[in-house]
Amino acid sequence: MKILCVCGLGQGTSLILRMNTETVLRQLGIQADVENTDVSSAKGEKPDFILTSNELAQTLEGHPSKIIIVNNYFDLEEIKTALQTNLN
Amino acid sequence: MEIIQWIATNIFGVPAILLGSIVLLGLLLQKKSTSQVITGTFKAMIGFLIISAGSGIITGALTVFEPMWAEVFGLESNTFSNYMGQEAFTTKYGAAVTLAMFIGFLINVLLARFTKFKYIYLTGHMMFWTTMVFAGVVVDTKTDIPFWGFVIFLSIIMGIYWTFQPAIVQPFMRKVTGNDNIALGHTSAFAAVLAALLGKWLGNKENDSEKIKMPKGLEFLRDSNVITALTMGLLFCVGAVILLIKGGAGAEDIIANSGDQNFIIYSIIQSFTFAAGIAVVLLGVKMFIGEMVPAFNGIATKLVPGAKPALDCPVVFPYAPNAVILGFVGAFAGALIWLVVLGYSVAYVFVPTMIVLFFHGATAGVFGNSTGGVRGALIGGFITATIVSWGQYIMVTFLIGSTIPDTAMWAADTDMFILSPFIKFLAQILF
Repeated sequence: MKILCVCGLGQGTSLILRMNTETVLRQLGIQADVENTDVSSAKGEKPDFILTSNELAQTLEGHPSKIIIVNNYFDLEEIKTALQTNLN
Repeated sequence: MEIIQWIATNIFGVPAILLGSIVLLGLLLQKKSTSQVITGTFKAMIGFLIISAGSGIITGALTVFEPMWAEVFGLESNTFSNYMGQEAFTTKYGAAVTLAMFIGFLINVLLARFTKFKYIYLTGHMMFWTTMVFAGVVVDTKTDIPFWGFVIFLSIIMGIYWTFQPAIVQPFMRKVTGNDNIALGHTSAFAAVLAALLGKWLGNKENDSEKIKMPKGLEFLRDSNVITALTMGLLFCVGAVILLIKGGAGAEDIIANSGDQNFIIYSIIQSFTFAAGIAVVLLGVKMFIGEMVPAFNGIATKLVPGAKPALDCPVVFPYAPNAVILGFVGAFAGALIWLVVLGYSVAYVFVPTMIVLFFHGATAGVFGNSTGGVRGALIGGFITATIVSWGQYIMVTFLIGSTIPDTAMWAADTDMFILSPFIKFLAQILF
């Protein structure tokens, strides 16, 4: 399973989201490849899931991957709930 | 002695190898699997090499942009001569920069461990650019600095900056986020604080930006590739049209560069090449930062109980999405005004670097809105453009001209412009 964490520039924020997602996945005992990138590059990739903010989800409308919205990238609980709801 | 010499030349003298070694060590300490250790180390090294390659592309496009606008303003174009450039600079000083980043981070961790300032700076790409630009300023001051003196000087400055920048912003940050859990670790700090203070003084808090309805369809502004290509494209086109109308020997020389191609088409391609170069550099930075920051984070959480992460500026964007757009609008308008003013007053061609204007303007917008509503957000953006444009002029002309002005033109930003004169002053005293 491949998960892509997306922010505007693909540098700092998406990396933090990636680190937090990896932590949550470890807690849940789920194996996945997590990467981070910018919104332009995300359009050309086909991961299983994309994690991003509400604003950026709008620019990714129509993307073949399933988009999961996370509003607070530092809230491990929110990420956990979002992943649990969508991964099953 | 031969072994030490060999290590100095082939490990500490080759930035990609040094960086690879640091990342390798970090991954081993985190007890990652073999495949993660190998891919992580390789990606970090490849990423570092990509940065140099991308810098060449950006410089190529800038050497078209600068003379074009110099001719528009009727200036002698001489900014682009007699400097080292990012590629050569990285080859020579990249290892020192990498080490300074690493030791600077350790100083940050120690300060957080033993003082009441519990901030851990985790914005890796800004750590890289800030150290790089400060290194450029130091080498511009004096070229024959001993390696370790250079590394230690930079490390101490970075360690102090990474600890206290979040601490200074935190009172204002609490106002934005409404909690004390996260801090801002970003070089837009000076503009953000100034925006919050000016917002309080000149703005109107009642008129909060989140009460107004923003027009739909502005989402594309969040895509950094698009805004860079769009604005540089416009500026290249305007410059090209002015040159075509103006004519004269100077203009004809520049137009001749396009050969058989239409000059406007040629200019559009140059602007997109500029955006492409930035995308390449960012890919490289992402690849090596993506391996380094998790390792840094692992070290920090082990050593500093109660550590507060200082994070990249988009962390504040969700708290006031409209202020993000208003801040950018303020910064963009300011940049265009200063482009013309700088051209005619001090004969400097300002490169309105969109990534800096967007992210810094937006951050200042959010902070300005927290104290001064809509007006505060717009003022925050304008203040950002003012610091960035005048800062770039002062930096390129007086502080970094012989080393990496090419990088300073698009990657240097608010706090770097504010702090660089002090760095230069300290370097003059110490070396």
